Formats: sequence, structure tokens, C-alpha cells
Amino acid sequence: MAFAQHQTSRRAGLPQMLLRLTRGAMLIVGIYLILYAFYAYQQPKALTFSSFGSLMNNTAPLALAAAGQALVVISRGFDLSVAGVISICNVTLAVYAMDGPGGALLSALLCIAIGVTVGAVNGVLVAVLRLQSIAATLATMIICQGIALVILKAPGGSVANWIADEMTGRLWKTIPVSGLVVAFVVVVWLMIRRSRYGLSLYAIGADEQSAALSGINTRRVRFVTFVLAGAIYGLAGFMLSAQTATGNPTSGTPLLMLSFAAVALGGTSLSGGKGGVFASIMGAAVLMLLQKVLFSFGIASFYTGMFQGVALICAVVFSGLLTRLGEAK
Amino acid sequence: MTQKQDPQTLAQQGDTRGSAKLSRDTISAATVAVLCVLLLLSARLVSPALGSWNQVETVLVLGFFLVVLSYGQGLVILSGGLDLSLPATITLGGILATSWVGATDPGAWYLLPVVLAVCGLVGLVSGIGIVWLRVPPFIMTMAMSIIVASALLGYTDGTPRGSAPDAAVWLMKSTFAGMPTPVSVLIGFVVVGWLFQSRSIWGRYLYAIGTNLDAACIAGVPVVAMQILPYVISAICAGFVGIALVGYSSGATLRMGDDYLLPSIASVVIGGSSILGGRGTNLGTVGGAILLTTLGTIISALGMEFGLRTVIEGSIVLFALLLLREELFQKLRTVWR
Repeated sequence: MAFAQHQTSRRAGLPQMLLRLTRGAMLIVGIYLILYAFYAYQQPKALTFSSFGSLMNNTAPLALAAAGQALVVISRGFDLSVAGVISICNVTLAVYAMDGPGGALLSALLCIAIGVTVGAVNGVLVAVLRLQSIAATLATMIICQGIALVILKAPGGSVANWIADEMTGRLWKTIPVSGLVVAFVVVVWLMIRRSRYGLSLYAIGADEQSAALSGINTRRVRFVTFVLAGAIYGLAGFMLSAQTATGNPTSGTPLLMLSFAAVALGGTSLSGGKGGVFASIMGAAVLMLLQKVLFSFGIASFYTGMFQGVALICAVVFSGLLTRLGEAK
Repeated sequence: MTQKQDPQTLAQQGDTRGSAKLSRDTISAATVAVLCVLLLLSARLVSPALGSWNQVETVLVLGFFLVVLSYGQGLVILSGGLDLSLPATITLGGILATSWVGATDPGAWYLLPVVLAVCGLVGLVSGIGIVWLRVPPFIMTMAMSIIVASALLGYTDGTPRGSAPDAAVWLMKSTFAGMPTPVSVLIGFVVVGWLFQSRSIWGRYLYAIGTNLDAACIAGVPVVAMQILPYVISAICAGFVGIALVGYSSGATLRMGDDYLLPSIASVVIGGSSILGGRGTNLGTVGGAILLTTLGTIISALGMEFGLRTVIEGSIVLFALLLLREELFQKLRTVWR
């Protein structure tokens, strides 16, 4: 079955590719569009490039965090280290600010390197030493948070101006740069999704034993997944720093729970083997847009959490119902 | 061999099955206890003020919060779940105790059980969502956490008012039977908790559910009630910690529970429980909580910065995880037999 899909996808052109992109994420994209219509109805300026750009800037860190988390969740794991990686990247950029385009590139590479290092540690702990992913990444997260506190004791410092300005700006006054970064991750995902690695990822998530029996090197796939996820968290930390322009040793903590919320909202099952990175990014986008919509309806920002929580429960119950209906047929 | 064996040998034979399990639990509990004592004694070498009886008391008073909290977390993990709503529930207990009980009548101790009941309600909703709506525990308790935190933010308008109720202050700041009251209460709590988890039918049900839900269901365990119960107990424990924290620091903040979620999971893991459920003892968890607290007080007494302290805590969790791996235990068993 997977092989047949693989064959058709080779022959498929761009329209087919777009269809494939939305197939799993149709529901969440639909919800996003409906929400955006509400938002535009309430606040007509929502349709301007500048307000879309600022929404994108708010969304990008969570979207990237959710993208990395989705990879690990698909492989039937949990990665709590996302909060630690983002915090370390943020304080590093605030303490060792490097200005100019070259500095920005170097900073981005540094963030990715931090993420890859933490991801590799997670990978060794989970894939080689066979620790439970939730417990192992809990330990690495606590250690990472400690390292972030050692680098920067209290909120402060400032991120290089070039990063703070350009990464939150718009190309030709239209396309938000933060959106491009997220789009880059989506494109990479589309490329690897049907690759040998991508198929193995879904296979070990669905059933690790059968995956191993059919010749997949489960250890390597698991390890690569944590490393890839770490790299994306690094990017998330980079974008968060660009957005806040300052350092905070606990800046990653709020993203921990929300990254799981985004993944679940995107329809990715927490028991692995199902879902996708794009849907999780859209889940993150819905969570952030929901805040804006509630605000535009005049609901005090105090209560946004309530709506986010209820939306999360509803999404999980609803997608569970759909799955059960599908299985019953 | 053809003759009837006498009951004593039969009993001994029957015992061998239990001893394998016992050895695993006792190994981890003993390891944690020995580590605690070693830490306190070695701290004495660094500074004579450390490691005294006074310091043991301080550790026990500070450990009160984590022990109570991780007991609830331990029960939830034992039943195969995870409770991420603890920080929000702690804050709920603390804020109700100050902004409601403390602001209306600080002497009204009889309102505190109502506070606990409200907290228990949060756990009940989580449990119902998990069992009946089939929302994964991770998501359900996380959503409850977000919901409760935002409700509290709205209820207090961002700044909690009121003062600590007298009963909460008495709980944390008086002496009872020659010991600080929290230490006496802690001992009572641990005994009752142990009786419930290891010596009662409900405790055995939880082990059964955590090991294999389907098998437990077939064996006649009331699975619905027994899956919900740990979340209710955990929420009540968290509310109790909230009230105690208010009594200790004389006020509530909206972020008072935030620092307790990860240590609560960490103490359960350090205590030798499986994060997947079905295995672990509450004495191990208590040891894990005390170990983390001992470590915290020693490190802060040495004047080490908070970041390094966090790194060390994380490393201990990692160390415990690696030490408690299943393969290692099997190896140890084969060596010793």
C-alpha cells in the first residue's frame, strides 16, 4: 500500500503535491480559514500585509516547536527537551549577539547546532540505551534549563538588531520572513516524507516490532528523528529570539505544553504512526489565531487559556470519533 | 516427594515468586535511602553546619510539599497515566485559601476541606475526560491545566489578594509532639499513603490497571472508578500542597505551582517507578522526593547558583533512569543468585 502510494507520488506533479499536503491537514486548514474569516470580519485590517506579517511572527516559534515535536510524536515518542533547547538558544543569542547578515547566519547555525547536540543526546538515551522517551527527555530538559540559567541568570541582554529587525520584517513589504522560515521546514518535510526515512518513521510509530522485522533499522530512525527535531527546535529558538529581541532563561517553558497542544490539534495521534508536520504547524497557527480572534471579540486576554483548553479537548475527542467511525466501516 | 509437603515449605516455595518483585523495589528504595544519608553525611565534611539534626528537620519541612505532591503523581503514574495539571491545581488551592478563605474569615478552618473538594473536582473532570471521552491523559490534564490557570487569572484579575488562613499557618509554623507540625503530618501522611497503595484492595487494583487494563477489566476490577480515582486523589494532594505553601510563605501567587511539576515526576522516576505504570512503591517515591529536596538544600547552602543546581538535579534524574533500567536489574539478579 505504502509502496503503491510511493510510486504514484513519484509521477505526480505540483497539483498532486498540493493535494497531498492538505489531505491529512484538511480539517485543521478549514478551521484556520473559518477562524481567519471571523477575525477579518471583526477587524478588517486583518487582511493587510502588515497584520498578517505580525500574526506570522507570533506564530513562527510555536509552529516550528510543534513541527519538531510532531516528528517525535509520529515515531511514538515524547520530547520535553523542546523547552530547554529554545531557552538555551534564546539566552545564547542574547548574550553573544552577532550583528549583520553574516552574524545572523552564524547565529542560526549555532542554534541548529545546539538543537542537534541536545537531540543527539536524546537519541542516544532513547534509541541506544532504551530509556522511556518521556522520562529521558524530562531529564535532558531539566539539564538544558539549568544550562540556560548558567548562561544568563535573569531576563536581560538583547538580541542583535539585524536579527530582530530583518527576521520579523517582510520581503518587498509583502511576504513575512518568518513565514518563509516555516515554509522552508514544510518543504523539507514534504521532500523527506515519502523518502525511505519518512516511511520508516511512520512504520516505527505504528508498530516498532513489525518495523524492525521488516528490516528497518529502528535505532537509527529513532536517533535521526530526535536529531532532526532538535535542529527544528533550534530554529524555533532563533525565531523566538528575533521576535522578543531579548533574552530570558525560561523563554521556552510556555512553548512546551502548547507544542503538544498544537500537535494534538493538528490531528496527530499521541500514540504514534499517524499525522503530519504540516498539520501540526497549522494546529499551532490555529492556537495563535484563536487568541487574536478572542481578543477581537472583546474577551479579556485572561480567559484565552480556557478557550484554548476547551478547543484542545474538543479537537482530540472529535478526531478520535472520526477515527472510530472510519474503523467501524 | 510423594508425601504431602508441610505447609511451611509450601509457603516458602510460594514466596519465591514475590521475592523477585520485592527485591527490585527494595533495591531501588534502599539505594535512594542510602544516597540521602550519604549526601547529608558528606555535606558535613564540607561545612560543619550541614548534616546536623536541625538540617534534617529543615529538609523534612521543605520536603513536605514535594512528598505530598509526588504521592498523587505516583498514584496517577501507577495507574498508567500522567498528571500535568498539578501546578494549576496547587495554585487553585493556594488562591482559594487566600482570596476566598483568607479574605472572608482567616479563622474559618472548616472552609479548607471545601477548597480541597474544589481541587478534587478538577481531578474528577480530568478523570472523566480520560475514561469516558477517551482523551489521552497527557492532553486532558494539560488542557485542564491551561483552563484552570486562565480561570484563576480571570478570578484574581492578575493579582491575588487576601492572606493565609490561620489553619494553614498553624500547619506549617507550629510544633506538634516535639517536632515541627509539618514533619508530624508528613509521617502520618506517608503511613496512610503506604497503607492505601500497598496494603489496600484499591492499591492492588491500581497496580492491576497500570500493568494491563484489559486483563484488569476481565478480572473484575472496577476499571472506570479506579482510573478516575488517582486523578481525584492527585488533585486533592495538589490542593493540600497549595494550602500548605500559602501557610509557609503567607501569600499566594499565580505562578506558585510552576516549579513543582517536573520535580513531582522526577521523584516518582527516581523512586524506581516505571513511567508506563504498574510498578513502583510509594516509599520509593517518598525517598525520591526527600533526595531531591536534600540535594536542593545542600546545593543552596553551598551557595551554588540556581542554574548549576538545576543541571545537577537533571543529571541525578538521568543517573537514576540509567541505574533503574530493566536490563540492569536482571543482570543484578543473575549475579546474586
